[in-house]
Amino acid sequence: MKKSFLTFAAVLMSSTVAFADGHMPQKSNEWYKNAQTALKERMAVQPITKRAKNVIILIADGNGVGTNYATRVYQGQTMGKLGEEHVLAHENFPHLGLVKTYNVNAQTPDSAGTGTAMHSGVKTKAGVIGVDESLNRGDCSQVEGAKVATIAELLTKQGKSVGVISTARLTHATPASAYAHSADRNFEDNSKLPEGCTQKDIATQLMDAMKAGTVDVAFGGGRRHFIPKAMKDQEGKSGKRTDDKNLIKELEAAGARYVWNEESFKALDLKSDKPIIGLFESSHMKYEHDRAGEPSLAQMTEAAIKALQGNEKGFFLSIEAGRVDHANHDGNAHRVVTDGIAFAQAVAKAADLTSPEDTLIIVTADHEHAIAFNGYCGRGNPITGICMGIDKNGVKYSDKPQTGKDGKPYTVIGYLNGAGSVLREDMNWVGARGDITMEQATDPDYTQQALIPRSSETHSGEDVAVYARGPWAHLLNGTIEQNYIFNVMMHAANAK
Amino acid sequence: MMDRRDFLTKSAIAAATGLMSVLPGMQRDAHAQIPRIKMRELYNKDLSFSDFAKAHEEQTILVEGFMAPPLKAESSFFVLTKRPLAVCPFCETDAEWPDDILAIYTKRILKVIPFNQKIVVKGRLALGSFKDPETGFVSRVRVVNASYERF
Repeated sequence: MKKSFLTFAAVLMSSTVAFADGHMPQKSNEWYKNAQTALKERMAVQPITKRAKNVIILIADGNGVGTNYATRVYQGQTMGKLGEEHVLAHENFPHLGLVKTYNVNAQTPDSAGTGTAMHSGVKTKAGVIGVDESLNRGDCSQVEGAKVATIAELLTKQGKSVGVISTARLTHATPASAYAHSADRNFEDNSKLPEGCTQKDIATQLMDAMKAGTVDVAFGGGRRHFIPKAMKDQEGKSGKRTDDKNLIKELEAAGARYVWNEESFKALDLKSDKPIIGLFESSHMKYEHDRAGEPSLAQMTEAAIKALQGNEKGFFLSIEAGRVDHANHDGNAHRVVTDGIAFAQAVAKAADLTSPEDTLIIVTADHEHAIAFNGYCGRGNPITGICMGIDKNGVKYSDKPQTGKDGKPYTVIGYLNGAGSVLREDMNWVGARGDITMEQATDPDYTQQALIPRSSETHSGEDVAVYARGPWAHLLNGTIEQNYIFNVMMHAANAK
Repeated sequence: MMDRRDFLTKSAIAAATGLMSVLPGMQRDAHAQIPRIKMRELYNKDLSFSDFAKAHEEQTILVEGFMAPPLKAESSFFVLTKRPLAVCPFCETDAEWPDDILAIYTKRILKVIPFNQKIVVKGRLALGSFKDPETGFVSRVRVVNASYERF
């Protein structure tokens, strides 16, 4: 043993001597050269301290650092790369921070509280929209006293136009937090208001905001909350309202344009300054994987920017990829990453259509999920598939699946809880994993395995990232509270 | 002698370990010539019926999916979904049916399978709008005279 140690030490010393002159054999290595290029690019980054004419925030609901990683690898693999080395559109932005997402009363946040933090600058309770933490969820009588101003309201007063986009219902928590004030996120139409509640429902608040010019362009789902229960929409689905009001008709009577499918969306005259409301589904818009007959998030982003760019005083635009979250709730990684790609494409479109010299773009998520990643998988392993071994003699993953102590393969992505639980109700909650093949795991409808049985997988309190470019984007770095994002947006829009 | 509890437990263990648990009315050998599909193969993206669905109308098929929690007890009707019907209490006030579901009318009063256990349904494919007189449930496509087993 002593002899071995001495031999090793001697080799180490001779290596040290060999590199003492600063010679670096790795200088011709591609990894080294790429890092040198990245270093020079970073050294050239200068803060932009002009006033931001435009502010765009893109929020992928439920797209924490882990979920975003899955989308990165998946998009890379769809482009023929191994995947891990891929860079999503927002990952090219020069500024980055980590965001603490908790609500004032919840370690694990919900989208109403987090949306309010980003759109109004204060953390609040879970489940409430556009109000501070003094309000007890569901108590309509407290809304007036607890209201906080939304960025849409504040920037409208400065003459800017405002757009709100979501692939979820426009009355759902995140988009609603851009324009509404509600004691409960579920008050999407009048039928959900408790008896005696004097607060207006969220759909009515969007209509009022559009009539008042606080919101100029709105694209998303949720048509049912705007029409009466007795009425069927263009796709034969019933409304939810019990007050017999047709808010779409009211908006059209007030001069707004209404579109409901891809055809009418594409026919929009984006040079006109008349308000636009697009309601493309009765409930949420379709997942990107299932999308047909309705615009993509990138298409809605492009249309909104072109429609809002006519205002010489600028615009504020809030864009949500609402269904990354829903696919995570379903434990269906395929739709998580395909909606994640649709989000990244919307980011790329927003970046292409604007200049960092006058437009602050912020890309973030409201919260993460109980998603986790198994190991040890080889390079280029299909991210939604089963975990294959590492090839010690090569780069790409081996042909041998990793197995658990039960002798069965497992997927790269797993969930701590959800519908994919391996614990079975019909076996008194005893667990036994089934066999999984790569073909089964990469099927678009596969539900990844989970531990704790729940009907719907949960959010988690883990940090999310914030990526930024444009005026004052450099203020988004370090580990920040989520409500700070609002303060950066307002600072950028008001900078002297 | 095997009592009922033993049988159910062993069936469940067999299913969990990847073996087919054979329920009455479904013999594996009898499936050999019957087309076996995933639910999504019945629909196009615009939710119109697929060529497969149109070609197999009124024929016996095998279709994979998940049993949504039944609307009522002691029923011979349930809804098959292509993924487990996860309902997020934080996100939704009402449980909502996906657009692409399949109504299943069983031969016998159904035995409930947990919503997240994959099953295979065997029965006759019926297309066209139908309103269930008992539940009021409207379906566009159904599998009738059906039996099912764990996957």
